[in-house]
Amino acid sequence: MAAKGKQTTEGLSWWEQASSYQRLVDSVDDYGIIMMDLDGTLRTCTPGVQALSGYTAKEVVSGNFAKFFTAELQASDYPEQALSQARDKGRFSDEAKMHRKDGTAFVSSFAIAAIPDEGGVVRGFSAIVRDVSRERGAEEDVRRSNAYARSLIEASLDPLVTISPEGKVTDVNAATEQITGLTREALVGTDFSDYFTSPQEARAGYERVFADGQVVDYPLELCNVDGSVTPVLYNAAVYRDDHGDVIGVFAAARDVTAQRLAERRIRQQSQEILELSTPVMQIWEGVVAVPLIGNLDSQRTQLFMERLLERIVETNSPIAIVDIMGVPTIDTQTAQHLVETITAVRLLGAQVILTGVQPSIAQTLVHLGVDWSGITTRSSLVSGLKVALDSLSLRVVDRETGASRS
Amino acid sequence: METESVSEVVIVSEYDIVLARKGIREAAVECGFGLTDVTRIVTAASELSRNVFLYAGEGVVTWHVLHGAHVGLELRFIDHGPGIEDLDKAMQPGFTSGRGMGMGLPGAKRLMDEMLIETEAGLGTTVIVRKWLSSRFE
Amino acid sequence: MMTSGISVMRLGAVLLVAVPSDPDDDTIADLQVRIMEALNGSSAQGLILDISTVQTVDSYFARTLTETVQMVGLMGGVTVLSGMQASVAVTTTQLGLSLGPIPTALNVDRAMVRLQELLSERQI
Repeated sequence: MAAKGKQTTEGLSWWEQASSYQRLVDSVDDYGIIMMDLDGTLRTCTPGVQALSGYTAKEVVSGNFAKFFTAELQASDYPEQALSQARDKGRFSDEAKMHRKDGTAFVSSFAIAAIPDEGGVVRGFSAIVRDVSRERGAEEDVRRSNAYARSLIEASLDPLVTISPEGKVTDVNAATEQITGLTREALVGTDFSDYFTSPQEARAGYERVFADGQVVDYPLELCNVDGSVTPVLYNAAVYRDDHGDVIGVFAAARDVTAQRLAERRIRQQSQEILELSTPVMQIWEGVVAVPLIGNLDSQRTQLFMERLLERIVETNSPIAIVDIMGVPTIDTQTAQHLVETITAVRLLGAQVILTGVQPSIAQTLVHLGVDWSGITTRSSLVSGLKVALDSLSLRVVDRETGASRS
Repeated sequence: METESVSEVVIVSEYDIVLARKGIREAAVECGFGLTDVTRIVTAASELSRNVFLYAGEGVVTWHVLHGAHVGLELRFIDHGPGIEDLDKAMQPGFTSGRGMGMGLPGAKRLMDEMLIETEAGLGTTVIVRKWLSSRFE
Repeated sequence: MMTSGISVMRLGAVLLVAVPSDPDDDTIADLQVRIMEALNGSSAQGLILDISTVQTVDSYFARTLTETVQMVGLMGGVTVLSGMQASVAVTTTQLGLSLGPIPTALNVDRAMVRLQELLSERQI
């Protein structure tokens, strides 16, 4: 909709008059707009140039465009080349360092255009200059902080890795290269799950991170190309772009080899303790005995059963005295194991003499509904030993009197 | 870069039961199981392989090491035989199915730590059993 | 189809059979046949089955063993099972296999002694 402005004597609207164009151009203050002749001498410039460079229009007009550029650029004839490009091609634009009146440098983004007259002959150039140092500086800052972040990632002793939603490795650090024995180039783009003893579990792991956002202490085993395996625990979380969309998973592995060794040592010690607490001792040729002390749980009883059977075979002992005087209570499952033990001992070709059965235990054992009539029992280990000696046709005799003591 | 290896034996005759036993024994020993646990695993495997042969005529036994937080051994017995009609009954101790002895399922379950059975009448049966290395000291 | 590995030895009135370590079904079946043959027409009265090298006893083995003991019994003989390994004893018990009331001994020497006891008891 054309504004119906005031008509002037020239027949043009206020909007179309040259003075209005002047006002337009002058109003732009974040760009400097210049007109110069063919060799770069400045003819006119807008107030925006002052804002940009600190020089007033009066100070720069009649000076050369080249003077805006830094000394190094002037020395290398950069401004002349810019102008001659504009002359040949009609346009030239670039980013280059310029300096202000106060000596500070700034990064400018400028565009030079050739201006022809009514006949088409190039009379001069226009140049539009903008200060982009803040953006470039921001980029520089970003680059610096990226470099900083990268150096942290590389310094980390924990193997770090990023995983794409498709399950591919997108980046690794030096520690990851070390633990896998492969270079970054070899790793990036391949499947994350390829490097574990259980690829299924590895896949399930990162799928869980994508689903839940994070995963903590996820156990896996990393493989090295040399065949060695490292147990690790993974902490992983999703990471996002500026819009909040998930880009991938960032995962850190913790080497738990030392931990696993310690755990194994504890397990061994537990087993040793269990064995110490159920010592199966050979008390005579052909007789082993074991005093069970404390509460018997299923695990302890199982271990005891295996130890007893092994010792019987090792020592060739047809008699095993099992004393449970020191066992206050027994649950049904443990009682079951005890019955199994007695049956198993029979299969070996030996027999159990059970001694020291407390009343409460006697109750539990009978309530099991097992037939105990075939099992020899005695109230104490001493009387159990007498039975053992008797069945081996042995007798204890008093040396003084010659009387039999068993 | 899988270091898991799955081993298998195809069961078409009684001799294959021994083959399966031998292979599984090796795997169990390599896993680090003690002698008694190895015997338990191999005996369970013998029973379950025998089932495959007796009731389906043929099938496959596979086994592989389980890794992760704990080490374990998993055995699978797969057949496309008649399937188990009444699974609950088959899991009762002392159950016989007409051949003079039980299917050994409750016994095998007793010897192992976990047992999973999938069966469908007319389609076949898959029995999966697992034993874990450090199950004793949890 | 190997049936090697089973030798049936005669020691006076006693038959001694050492069962190989991982016998297949055919070998186990053959064992029964060989024992029956050896008993038949001999004056042997006792059988010692030594399983000290056997690592796996499954239900088939157990059943064949029990049958053999019953057969020997019917023919007037006595069987003693010797040398069962500790881990086999544990597993067999937990599997719930019953070997019946078969006499057992820790090793062949003791089995001999036990056999003599049982045989002399019988003569009463």
